[in-house]
Amino acid sequence: MIQVNHLQKDFRIHQSRPGLGGAFRDLFSREYKTVKAVDDLSFTVEEGEMFALIGENGAGKSTTIKMLTGILTPSDGEIVINGYVPFKQREDYVRSIGVVFGQRSQLWWDLSPLESFRLLKSVYKVDEIEGEKWLERLIEELEITPFVSQPVRKLSLGQRMRCEVAASLIHKPRLLFLDEPTVGLDVLVKQKIREFLRNLNETENMTILLTTHDVSDIEALCKRVLVMDKGKLIFDGLLNDLKEKWGNGTEVSFQMKKRTSAAVLRQALGEMPCKIEQINDFTLSVKVARSQEMLPFVLSTVMSSFEVSDVKIEETSTEDIVRNIYSSDQEVASHA
Amino acid sequence: MQNMRHIFSIFADYLSQYFKTRLAYRTDFIGDFVSNLVSELINLIFIIVVFTHVPLMGDWTRDEIIFIYGFFLVPYALFSMFFGFWDFNERYIIRGEMDRILTRPIHNLAQVCLESIAPDRIFGVITGIIIMGYAAIQLDLSFYWYDVFIFIGLSISGALIYGGVYTAIAAVSFFSDSRTGIAPMIYNIQQYGRYPVDVYNKAIRFVLTYVLPFAFVGVYPAAYFLRKEVWYTYAAMTPVVAVIFFGIGLIVWNWGVTKYRGAGS
Amino acid sequence: MRKLYMELIRMRFLTMLAYRVNYYSGIIIYAINIGAYYFLWGAIYGGQQQLGGLTVEQMTSYVAIAWMSRAFYFNNIDTEIAQDVREGKVAIEMIRPYNYLSVKTAQAFGEGIFRFLFFAGPGIFLISLIIPFSFPATASGWGLYLISLMCAFLINTQINLVTGLLTFFLFRNDGMMRAKRVVVDLLSGLVLPISFFPGWAQTVMGYLPFQAVNYYPSLIFTGAITTQRSWELIGFQVIWMFVILVPILVMWRLARNKLVVQGG
Repeated sequence: MIQVNHLQKDFRIHQSRPGLGGAFRDLFSREYKTVKAVDDLSFTVEEGEMFALIGENGAGKSTTIKMLTGILTPSDGEIVINGYVPFKQREDYVRSIGVVFGQRSQLWWDLSPLESFRLLKSVYKVDEIEGEKWLERLIEELEITPFVSQPVRKLSLGQRMRCEVAASLIHKPRLLFLDEPTVGLDVLVKQKIREFLRNLNETENMTILLTTHDVSDIEALCKRVLVMDKGKLIFDGLLNDLKEKWGNGTEVSFQMKKRTSAAVLRQALGEMPCKIEQINDFTLSVKVARSQEMLPFVLSTVMSSFEVSDVKIEETSTEDIVRNIYSSDQEVASHA
Repeated sequence: MQNMRHIFSIFADYLSQYFKTRLAYRTDFIGDFVSNLVSELINLIFIIVVFTHVPLMGDWTRDEIIFIYGFFLVPYALFSMFFGFWDFNERYIIRGEMDRILTRPIHNLAQVCLESIAPDRIFGVITGIIIMGYAAIQLDLSFYWYDVFIFIGLSISGALIYGGVYTAIAAVSFFSDSRTGIAPMIYNIQQYGRYPVDVYNKAIRFVLTYVLPFAFVGVYPAAYFLRKEVWYTYAAMTPVVAVIFFGIGLIVWNWGVTKYRGAGS
Repeated sequence: MRKLYMELIRMRFLTMLAYRVNYYSGIIIYAINIGAYYFLWGAIYGGQQQLGGLTVEQMTSYVAIAWMSRAFYFNNIDTEIAQDVREGKVAIEMIRPYNYLSVKTAQAFGEGIFRFLFFAGPGIFLISLIIPFSFPATASGWGLYLISLMCAFLINTQINLVTGLLTFFLFRNDGMMRAKRVVVDLLSGLVLPISFFPGWAQTVMGYLPFQAVNYYPSLIFTGAITTQRSWELIGFQVIWMFVILVPILVMWRLARNKLVVQGG
């Protein structure tokens, strides 16, 4: 459904010279620096997939989503979505997509969401009867009935956001883009929106792409994750694989009945690749890479050799993984 | 063509949205009205005061100049009704509203026009017609029945000429990465079509005819109604010039859209 | 304190420099305006030697210098104040350790210096190459013009402060501010020297501050009046400065009370 090949976007950024003299010289000639916001990006997406694009600020995710939605013209490379080239056949293409910008409203500020919906329906030339039925379903599932007739400026952020989602879906698009949809929302509203999106994906087989900072969004919604850094795609795969690649593995902490030193434990485990850490005289933690055979081996070996009073197994959270990716530049380079 | 029909059908929707907003907001309706009227009348004062000192400007009498000015107000009001995006740079580029526009299935310029539509500028048309009427009576002009249609055609052409030039100027915002003051620009250049171009020297006359063809908004078409046969060819060319310059504006705009950088990162 | 205001002026100056498109479009606008009025007046004069007390040469200088003076005194601080009021920023400005109105004036001054040096300077030079143009012959002529221009700037800024402060009491006054701009252009003598108006209109305008904004300095520049008359005009400007100060101070006090009572 989405095909992206060697996509590239360069920006020319004006470098201002310092001081009054510099500002004066800028008036007549400017220095520019070219920045590659998106660098050689390729991926494909099948219909009905639900996936997330993550990365730090300035990693190029916004630029990517803007190229996918046809807002920006790529410097190089190609995009084909639903059989359209977004920036070339913009008006036909955008009929098949819906876009939610978390930071920007598409509703009329002084009027009620219902008025905006009505206008959007005629903008998208939505069929009267079927469109009405669909809109009713959206209103019901997003639970916006109580405030759908109030002016938008009087709504809370959570209420407005749900209306934004409804507005972007008014024409029943096959593909939905969400750019930071949950920024600043409280947990309850986040959950409501996620639930709605998941349902939409299941019942309508709608393809959904979101960019986000919120790791819980990804865990709740997406199997597939794309990670960008400095304009490049550094990971494309399942959330599980991401955990394997960048996770700290699994950490098992053993509470022993007798005093045990790290050296003794190491002896028991032999050549096994793992990291042992002494927490206190009775407590030791073992870190193993995420893999099927290692964990059972460690557990059975330790249990049979020592008297253990308690075992705690901790898996690294996606949040840690994302932090790992961002903080370890070298490692990123080696995986790329 | 199908797209055009769609745009016109949506026009009514946006119009009703405008009035609802206007009612909801209760903006300074009187203030806007008065300020527009004042700016329109001030130019009239200029003409009247100058003609207390001289009998003619070039070969033109006071009432002829007043008639030209009255005519000019009509296309100008139409233009400012449909091309009311004075704050285009601020609102659509810097605040990034253009992102939203570009994800909707109607031509983006049409959307920007529809969103900033200003129906209250219709009063400018009325003022213009009153001023023309006064001058016509003073000059004892007579009209044919088909002049009504010629008037409408020439007014729309004039509005399109302004629209084309303004669209091209507004499109500069797509290329520049800083704030651009396009509003004062149009405010300042709008006035040159109002006086007979033969009072200017050759260079300015050339500019006003072929480069920024504002003479086609005021003096050339008005000359037809004043029965100045010397200018008939120019008056007849008005719709052609309108199509050409609006086309140029559209091309520059579309080209600009491909250079749009979006707000933020 | 003085350092603060110097810094504000410098900041605004630099900001103006940063907007390159504004700069170039500004030069084009001023050049076209001056050129167009020059030819328009040429046509109006026709064969006549003198109109409204000005020869055609003096008229040419008048048009050019009137626009150049405008480059210096013109500013939009009233719309800036209105925006601050509507967005509630003015409450923050009030608790800062400076006077809000002086800050706005300093910013306007920075803008004025920028336009004077970078628009008017090069502009007037270019125009003097193309159209016959006479500069003041003596140093004292220049001095008088500059003093008068400075007063013009202050008066225009005061007028803008008045309309800007009205926002506190009217909330929406965009229309009025726009109308004010055109009215000032007309009544200050920018488009038409005051001496062109019929006698009764001149009498009325004598009681208004607007001609002190442009007509006086431009008249001094053209050399159409004597040195003594020039000093008189500057005296009138000073008087106007004090007169307009009264409503500003009154309105500022009322506005502050209003803010304290209503909390913005």
